[in-house]
Amino acid sequence: MEKKLSKKSLLKSFHNWYYGHLTCFSQEHMQTFGYLCAMLPLVEELYDNEDDKAKAMNTYTAFFNTEPQLGTVVVGMTAGLEEARANGQEDVDEETINGLRAGLMGPVAGIGDSLVVGTVIPILLGIAMGMSGGGSPLGAIFYIIVWNLFAYFGMRFLYFKGYNLGAKAVEFLIGAQGEAIRDSVGILGGIVIGAVSATWVSVKTSFTLLNEAGEPYLELQSKLDEVFPGLLTAVFIIICWALMAKKKMSPIKVMLLLVVVAFLGVFVGFFNPGLTY
Amino acid sequence: MEISWLQAALIGLFACLSSMPGMGGSSIGNYTLGRPLVGGLVCGLILGDMTTGVLVGCAMQVVYIALVTPGGTVSADVRAVSYIGIPLAMVALSSYGLSPESAEGAALATSFGTMVGTLGTVLFYGTATINLVWQHIGWKAVEKRQYKKLYLVDMGLPWLSHLACSFIPTVVMCKLGADVVELIKNTLPMDGLAMKTLFTVGSLLPCVGIAILLKQIVKKAADFVPFLFGFVLAASMGINLVSATVVAGMFAIINYKIKMLSVKGAVAVDDEEEEEI
Repeated sequence: MEKKLSKKSLLKSFHNWYYGHLTCFSQEHMQTFGYLCAMLPLVEELYDNEDDKAKAMNTYTAFFNTEPQLGTVVVGMTAGLEEARANGQEDVDEETINGLRAGLMGPVAGIGDSLVVGTVIPILLGIAMGMSGGGSPLGAIFYIIVWNLFAYFGMRFLYFKGYNLGAKAVEFLIGAQGEAIRDSVGILGGIVIGAVSATWVSVKTSFTLLNEAGEPYLELQSKLDEVFPGLLTAVFIIICWALMAKKKMSPIKVMLLLVVVAFLGVFVGFFNPGLTY
Repeated sequence: MEISWLQAALIGLFACLSSMPGMGGSSIGNYTLGRPLVGGLVCGLILGDMTTGVLVGCAMQVVYIALVTPGGTVSADVRAVSYIGIPLAMVALSSYGLSPESAEGAALATSFGTMVGTLGTVLFYGTATINLVWQHIGWKAVEKRQYKKLYLVDMGLPWLSHLACSFIPTVVMCKLGADVVELIKNTLPMDGLAMKTLFTVGSLLPCVGIAILLKQIVKKAADFVPFLFGFVLAASMGINLVSATVVAGMFAIINYKIKMLSVKGAVAVDDEEEEEI
């Protein structure tokens, strides 16, 4: 008789992944234990024999790490493959399963990091911050609800897509339509982040030249704002981008560099936060 | 502002849930509770000043708007930013008598949060290292085919890592916070070079956060245009964030349709010709 995974075990497997993929994280094994926990309900349903169970579980002791939200599709795909293996399909063995996992880890992490963590979350946070004016809790509540619904149902959708479609599930992600979506979401993200920067980031200079009578005749900040409102802010952001993207500096090094820039700026009078007790 | 033991313990619990890798799972933990905007709301509610909490959270959120952790390398620790940095910044603001809504208040909060967040990476590596011990138990269990034990390893034992690396550090820092802030206040005068630098750094740091995000989106110079477009929307035209998102959505849809035309172009033309016949 053909073995078929029940909806109950598939859901249990999904929930184990949804919750547990990073709870026992270490630099050495990363998401491997989360993956083992996700496969356990499936393996227990598919195999009665202890040796078969052990053979199946050993497959998933191989290292795994990817972007966890989007990576759910990989877990779903292996659920389908494990079912096929339990039914004695000959071209599915440990090698094909681990080949697939290892092959997808990188590309899925790349797409997931830029799409989920680099675009969707910042857009939601940007909107939420817009709703937080005056310390209103509305923005945070909006983010909590929208992000969690998106994450839970999105991951669940991906898991079952992976299970039902197998390899076809990733075609959607890396195919032409997937690329058009990613490109468009990138534009959406770019515009929103631009608006977030202009609203929430403010780099201002206090540089002023005085005439003989002691009155200011050049206030650099207002001159700059006449050219392009928020010019200094935009310039600083682009410099930071260039240091990280072109010069390959780490964020921490750039932050330390900014401490030096701030110190020198304050020293020569370019920056002055104008503090008094 | 004093933080009581109970308040400190509650904040400590949230620190355990929210970190990366955390006990809330990454969707609810890291990506929801760990975001400074949400952390601000939580800390604000616990400390009885929701408005200040949200505003401090917003200020720090800009720096960490795109906290991508490629391959598990972190540049800042979310539990430290959100559950050590925010309470300390709130204490500092009330001690200095600064309004969290003012530019100075936001700069102070940002400097504090980033400093704590960067130092907090120690907690991340600490947690991941202690988890190695549990994983060792896990491998033993796999060898002995005691698979049920995997749940304990993945979802139970890491609580002990968090007791050491999240709960205790958070409680200690919250309790010591007021004294540390008082010490800084007495040794470093507000109009001195050190404090001016600290505040200036606070206004510069969000540039790094935005730049990290741009690294994900901007691959060539033309990709800066959507970002600058969004910047102009907010800085020059005074459009708020939610409205800017709608405008951005419109452009994303146009882009998607154009992209899909070039994908389906050939097919669509064929269809039309057939209809005409």
